[in-house]
Amino acid sequence: MKIGAYFKDNLYKLLVFIVCYVFNLLIFFAFKVDRSVIISSSFLYVICFLFILLIPYFRKKKFYDNLLANIESLDKSYLVLETLSKPEFYEGELLYQALYEINKSMNENVRLIEEHLQDFKEYIEMWIHEVKIPLSTLVLMSNNHKEQFDKKTKLQLKRLEDYVDQVLYYARSENAEKDYLIKEVDLSKVIKNVGLKNMDDLLENKIDYIVENVDYKILTDSKWLEFILGQIVNNSIKYKRNIDNSYIKIFVQEAQEKTTLVIEDNGIGIKKSDLKQVFDKSFTGENGRNTNKSTGMGLFIAKNMCKKLGHKIDIESKYNEYTKVYITFAKNKFYDVLK
Amino acid sequence: MIIEDEKLICNELSKLLENNNYEAVILKDFKNALNEILEVSPDLILLDINIPFINGEALLQNLRKESNIPVIMVTSINSETDEALSISYGADDYITKPYNPNILLLRIGAVLKRTKTNYNTNGNELIYKELKFDSQKGIIKKEDIEIELTKNEMIIFSYLLNHQNKIVTREELMTTLWDNSEYVNENALTVNISRLRNKLKEIGYVDAIDTRKGLGYILS
Repeated sequence: MKIGAYFKDNLYKLLVFIVCYVFNLLIFFAFKVDRSVIISSSFLYVICFLFILLIPYFRKKKFYDNLLANIESLDKSYLVLETLSKPEFYEGELLYQALYEINKSMNENVRLIEEHLQDFKEYIEMWIHEVKIPLSTLVLMSNNHKEQFDKKTKLQLKRLEDYVDQVLYYARSENAEKDYLIKEVDLSKVIKNVGLKNMDDLLENKIDYIVENVDYKILTDSKWLEFILGQIVNNSIKYKRNIDNSYIKIFVQEAQEKTTLVIEDNGIGIKKSDLKQVFDKSFTGENGRNTNKSTGMGLFIAKNMCKKLGHKIDIESKYNEYTKVYITFAKNKFYDVLK
Repeated sequence: MIIEDEKLICNELSKLLENNNYEAVILKDFKNALNEILEVSPDLILLDINIPFINGEALLQNLRKESNIPVIMVTSINSETDEALSISYGADDYITKPYNPNILLLRIGAVLKRTKTNYNTNGNELIYKELKFDSQKGIIKKEDIEIELTKNEMIIFSYLLNHQNKIVTREELMTTLWDNSEYVNENALTVNISRLRNKLKEIGYVDAIDTRKGLGYILS
């Protein structure tokens, strides 16, 4: 609360005072009051006026200053009411009450939306589990009756499965509540599972899956990491170049504080202008537009999941040469001590 | 034994298992699941989590109080938490739907092998005609001739040997190799098989591995 602005706001009081005072002087003069009486009463008048002006200022200043400062310093400024004590002047009480009511109604609204979101997420998860039942039946049937289902059916089924998984992990990664379990995981096992899952696609597209030096243990949720790697490998398959020795190479760069997993391919790469945006939601870029197979969601979800798990994900690419994705896992010393 | 409430999956699953020389039984009465399991006393159980009356995890807990029959959880819930929970209840493996049938078979094989070697520590030696095959060291022995196999040849040979007199598809071999972290491509598989053939020929087994065009290979 600034004193200058406060005075400006109370200018009308000064005017009223001056007008009253002038009338008063006129009355004094009319009755020919003694000069010493005029001086002493004037002095009293001014003192009184200053008190009337300044006391409310100091009463209010503490409350409003607190309010403004706390709004500034809180990252969730709507919580400011919790930090204030109830003011002892009427205006303040009104404001306090109003803020309280506003807060309450907003909280109710937020809760409603959260409930809706939670319901929706639960429905999506349930739906995914349901849809996986006919999907697994089809996979089994395509295996048992090879004469009726050819390889193409299998690849299409796999695409279907990939899209369903994408929805599942999107729902999981967007959700505020914790939906993962971090423990020590064999990196080589995760890479193996990703390889097995994409084996048909890789063989069909004649892409070599080269895995080197991955016998490390890391702290992560293996299912989530499998999905993240799956998205990256899928992209490498989608955006391969028409050359004879296409490959995806997966290896680890070990440093003192961290373990970095590198997924490298010699596919069509990403143009510099697109590179910054590949992790953005719904971004497809030139490659996506050219192949028409891109949802622009895969890397966005992957990045979100990495953020939640505490991993870092980076990308590097040269158009028409290579793409490298780096996932960095921090080493947890505390965990080493526990072991 | 298959514990699963989806009829079609049950049928396809038991077909898959029977095609691969397993005997499959489907659980009929979910109300008395535990009694039925103990009565049948199978070598291995494929257990779905979402089954009527009692969920798979609870059934597993009850079963573990009575018996050590190996259990593979088969479920459409793909989450680390559920997996950790199932394993802590005593499941031997955890596979999510939709599963690759070849991988399912490999996991079944692995669990059975793991649980059986408890009784028989000499489980690494396989026998083919007059040959002794040590799958741990990768050595084939015929009387005193010893031939060393590379890791890939060894994986292929033991798979063929475990499926003797049956057609084995390239896809099955590929899955087995990849499951052992040997990420070979189509050419490499062909090369490995012809090398293996030559090695068998050296010790007198000409045409032991026969190619069935469009289908796969057979070890006779």
